[in-house]
Amino acid sequence: MTRLALRNLFQSKARLVISIGGVALALMLMLSLDAIFAGVEERVVAYINHTGADLFVSQSGVRNLHMASSWMPASVAEQVADRPGVDEATPLLYHSNLVSVGDERSAAYIIGLPPDPAMGGPWSIAAGRTTPGPGEAILDEGIASTTGVGLGDEIRILGRTFEIAGLSEGTATQGGSVVFISQEDFSQLRPGPPVISFVLVRVRPGADVTTVAEDIEAEIGGVTVLSRPAFASEEQKVVRDMGNDIVAIMNIIGFMVGLMVMSLTVYTATLSRRAEYGMLKAVGARNGDLYQTVLTQSLVSVLVGLGIGLGFTLALAAVAPRLDVPLTLVVRPDSVLRVAAASLVIAAVSAILPIRQIRRLDPVMVFRGR
Amino acid sequence: MLLARRNLFQERTRFGLSVSGVALAIMLILLLNGFLTGMFRQVTSYLDNSPGSILIGQEGVANLLGATSTLPDGAAARASEVDGVERVVPILSQFVILDLHQKKVPAYMVGYLPQEGGGPWAMAEGREPTADHEVVVDLVLARRHAITIGDSLDILGQPFTITGLSEGSASWMTGFFFVRKTAAEGLLQSPGATSYLLVGLSPDASGEAVRSRLADQPGVDASWKTDAAANDLRLYARFFSAPAKLMVGISFWIGSLVVGLVIYTATVERQREYGVLKAVGAGNATLYSVVVIQAVIAALAGVALGVLLAYGLAEWIMAVRPQFLILLESDDILRALMFGLAMALAAALLPAQMVARLAPAEVFRR
Repeated sequence: MTRLALRNLFQSKARLVISIGGVALALMLMLSLDAIFAGVEERVVAYINHTGADLFVSQSGVRNLHMASSWMPASVAEQVADRPGVDEATPLLYHSNLVSVGDERSAAYIIGLPPDPAMGGPWSIAAGRTTPGPGEAILDEGIASTTGVGLGDEIRILGRTFEIAGLSEGTATQGGSVVFISQEDFSQLRPGPPVISFVLVRVRPGADVTTVAEDIEAEIGGVTVLSRPAFASEEQKVVRDMGNDIVAIMNIIGFMVGLMVMSLTVYTATLSRRAEYGMLKAVGARNGDLYQTVLTQSLVSVLVGLGIGLGFTLALAAVAPRLDVPLTLVVRPDSVLRVAAASLVIAAVSAILPIRQIRRLDPVMVFRGR
Repeated sequence: MLLARRNLFQERTRFGLSVSGVALAIMLILLLNGFLTGMFRQVTSYLDNSPGSILIGQEGVANLLGATSTLPDGAAARASEVDGVERVVPILSQFVILDLHQKKVPAYMVGYLPQEGGGPWAMAEGREPTADHEVVVDLVLARRHAITIGDSLDILGQPFTITGLSEGSASWMTGFFFVRKTAAEGLLQSPGATSYLLVGLSPDASGEAVRSRLADQPGVDASWKTDAAANDLRLYARFFSAPAKLMVGISFWIGSLVVGLVIYTATVERQREYGVLKAVGAGNATLYSVVVIQAVIAALAGVALGVLLAYGLAEWIMAVRPQFLILLESDDILRALMFGLAMALAAALLPAQMVARLAPAEVFRR
């Protein structure tokens, strides 16, 4: 019966291609949306994961960077540096803003670095300096390339002109980038009393990260201290919580589309072979055997569709970084498993209509030419 | 036409499934566009509803939501002295992340002076803040997280009491909340700081001349609020247009393949009949039109059902998830119709090719 199912399925190549293509696209719809949000989650923590810090000290209640702001008195950096177990403490200034590069304005995380920072600077430099001096900025290489600027050219941040002194790698985010300037310049862009946004902490070898974090939080008022993994996890949670509802809705629609396409395919394949199924019934085939044929066709189509959909999504993920589109796709195993599970449900449900059709089939009708 | 219709409607279940497939693809396209339109409407809600017609930000800032702005000291006083300026409303604003019931919720904080304006433009319940520990929260944000008037809300580590719920200030990306300006200054460690000035003009003032004079003030940029709103939209469009275009592209091809599958199958099954028609003198053009008409009927029926489904689903989503505003506009319906027709033409390609290759004599040899 499996052979019969496969022959029936592969007999019309054009129909097979169209139907598998439809299922593949529907599953790709689910996979790619998941991959887009997973990509955003991955990109959004690139800076955090590359700071080299063990702990992030921020304003009380602030647990991430994206869409957040943290302001603490500048004295907090020295207080943190004096705590036991702290090896290095680097103060950072941060806010998100727009950067004008040529005629383009793009969103950016602006990071204000102290001279010779131990942590928090660009982690990979394609060209130029690794630390910005006064009046200098380090820009993402990709943003520089798409906007046609390079070392020595100018960018504008909050109305002030900076010379591009370095080009960093891996610092592009969804629709934006990380730009590094000196802390001195940053302070001039933000008038007011001396403040810092975060203190990055490296703990002494042998010191317990959790103990140091608890000590800083207890002894210095008005701060929140998180380990780097916890801070990164909170950052990803922002993206996840923002995207959950929309991903769920789109997944349901993708599932419905896939179900509809697969139902149509299996139904059409069964319909066009109605006479043959009737003949099989007439020569003694049981309904169970015929149901198995239909289910096998459905399952094979869906699994091939899943393979192709996954292949397309992986190809898109590989190609996207080379195209001038602000998209990073990351296909995660849990997402593939979920879509695979949805595929099995689609295969089973789409076989219901044809099975009903076969059950009602009267073998005698075949010989009457109906 | 009659032949095409009969061929298509002969197998009703198949026709129904194909129409449903197209309808779902069209519904998806419409919903995606509706999401974007609604989101863009919500993005500009503060600029649309706040007082004044000019937005003054720090030099280099011509956005509200996409930027962080800190004005130089004395900017408000200098702006109010400019000829033609009737009203200057200072605000201190910033995105913050609220932790509500283990969920990260981005929200836009507006610190304002209640006597000057710039706060909530429509109150659903309660009152505006009269003390620095009081806050007005967007109604939808409050309902989503089961918080209400009298509850305590932690903002940047400080406890605030909710005194009112505002209307029309929600978005699925962000909701607004309003505190007194002095409270925002404390939260942002910026005593006396101002992010933006909302400037209203005298009725007899020459708008562009006043805006130009305001822009000449040191350390600031002055933009029409409509331009600042357009800049925010451009910024958000940059984030969302690529994923949305990808989804719409996939949906289009799904719809095309669904119609294609149905028309192809219907054509294969009627191959003999097409051959007979050719043998009795029907030209390829006649047979093409039979195939194309079937595709167009299936696609148009799918579009009609898709539009209805999109309206229904949009209403349902907005009822259960009020943070989403889904706006289906007449342009989108027209675009869906164009998509449907394009799907029909793409779907008719393969069957039309098959009919063209059909040799009439073959029919009689089988």
